[in-house]
Amino acid sequence: MAKLVLSTEGTVVFQCFLDTERLQIGRLPTNQVVIDDPRVGAAHAAIVPVGNDHILENLHNVTGTFVNGARVDRHILQHGDVIEFGPYNLRYLNPRVSMETSLDRTMIITGLKPQTVLAPDDARPTPESLRVPTARPTRSHATNGRIVMRAGPRARNTIELDQVVMPVGVAGALAVITRRPHGFFITHVEGERMPKVNGRRIDREARQLRDGDDVEVGGETMRFKQD
Amino acid sequence: MARLTIEAAGLTDAGTVRQFNEDSIVFDADLGLMVLADGMGGHRAGEVASRMATEFLLATLAAQMPAFDADDDPTPSQLAVGQSIIRANEEIFAAAQNNPAYRGMGTTLVMAVFHGQRVLLAHVGDSRIYRLRYNRLQLLTRDDSLLRDQVELGLIEVADAGGSHNRNLVTRALGIAAHVTPHLRDDEVLAGDVYLLCSDGLNDLVDDSDIELILNTLKSNLPLATHHLVQAAKDNGGHDNVSAILVRLHETAAVAAHADWWRRLLAWFRT
Repeated sequence: MAKLVLSTEGTVVFQCFLDTERLQIGRLPTNQVVIDDPRVGAAHAAIVPVGNDHILENLHNVTGTFVNGARVDRHILQHGDVIEFGPYNLRYLNPRVSMETSLDRTMIITGLKPQTVLAPDDARPTPESLRVPTARPTRSHATNGRIVMRAGPRARNTIELDQVVMPVGVAGALAVITRRPHGFFITHVEGERMPKVNGRRIDREARQLRDGDDVEVGGETMRFKQD
Repeated sequence: MARLTIEAAGLTDAGTVRQFNEDSIVFDADLGLMVLADGMGGHRAGEVASRMATEFLLATLAAQMPAFDADDDPTPSQLAVGQSIIRANEEIFAAAQNNPAYRGMGTTLVMAVFHGQRVLLAHVGDSRIYRLRYNRLQLLTRDDSLLRDQVELGLIEVADAGGSHNRNLVTRALGIAAHVTPHLRDDEVLAGDVYLLCSDGLNDLVDDSDIELILNTLKSNLPLATHHLVQAAKDNGGHDNVSAILVRLHETAAVAAHADWWRRLLAWFRT
């Protein structure tokens, strides 16, 4: 369970658990966390629970709300964050293992003030450098596989099957070898003639490859090897 | 300029963990209309919200779209699509207010409306639209997500964001407030372009580089490409519903018709 600890000059003056209710911080006694200091706004900030997380929201546009020294308007609180109110520090503690990606459903944030006016460039995509990475490592696979080309333009080359899909054949007679957690599969992509595995034509379904299988696609002949 | 023809394929899947599929897709290549919605809200209400969004938008826009085709002016399509989304939001919001079982339901939305040499892209929430052009994948939308905002403001390191436990907080959706402002973007299309509309169950689990590779390798077979995208997300965990609509623009119809006419003429000369 998440917890708030209010301290000033190294002394803890108040602490509380965060439950499922919205909590408001400010100078007036109507707030749930009262900080009686002239530098604190009457209603200065709010903490809104969303699932297992808490969102801090600034309500005081004159002074603003600062988390770990940075001014924020709306902030997903992270374990150990320090929210500053004049000489007071409000520390957010949520020791749940944060690296464990939540499998919770996507949630909509409600209970926040209406969104601020949109910037005109709002529709522009996020720059590449600020892209949030995918949730899981995508390159963990049980086995490695490769194809040894025996005839065709790439004869005598060995090609590591280290991508999620690897094209084989030529445009007009194309197939792909797909790498999946439980093995490698060949699928017909385009062309009248279906690929052959060990001399027999496959159908439209993906066909799992076994170590030593001979594959023929669009003038290329290859042997599949799996560790 | 030759007229472009549209080929489309789409697939939606509950994933490997969830029992229900709260995503909903609608696509019609003849109309040039593609809609994808990722619903949320307990007790399967998300399913209701996403279906309401896709069905309402298809029904509302199907009648209006022939008028967009008349010329390449983006204004009529922007007005019609913008207004339709606002009305879809009102419908879903009203249903959520009036029926206790639907309280708190909402849905993301991405849509692509092709007409003439243009496409109108619209989105609300964290579902996405990508475009593959000259073999390069480009993200055309900007997630309405608190995590994305935090990363952009420098409050969270990009490297930490992948493991963040609060990656799924959407700041804008249909059905959660009386009014919504959709993001609209008008784009010129080129022959050979491939557009991808997807729910976060795809881009959360499959790297952009792998999406690009799958599209480049399989774009000549769109149904197979959608199947591979969904399969890749499931192979990487599949903890969310996953949906994808692929659209490819061809110049071939006009060219083929022309070639046909030429071949017939030659055949006539030979006889």
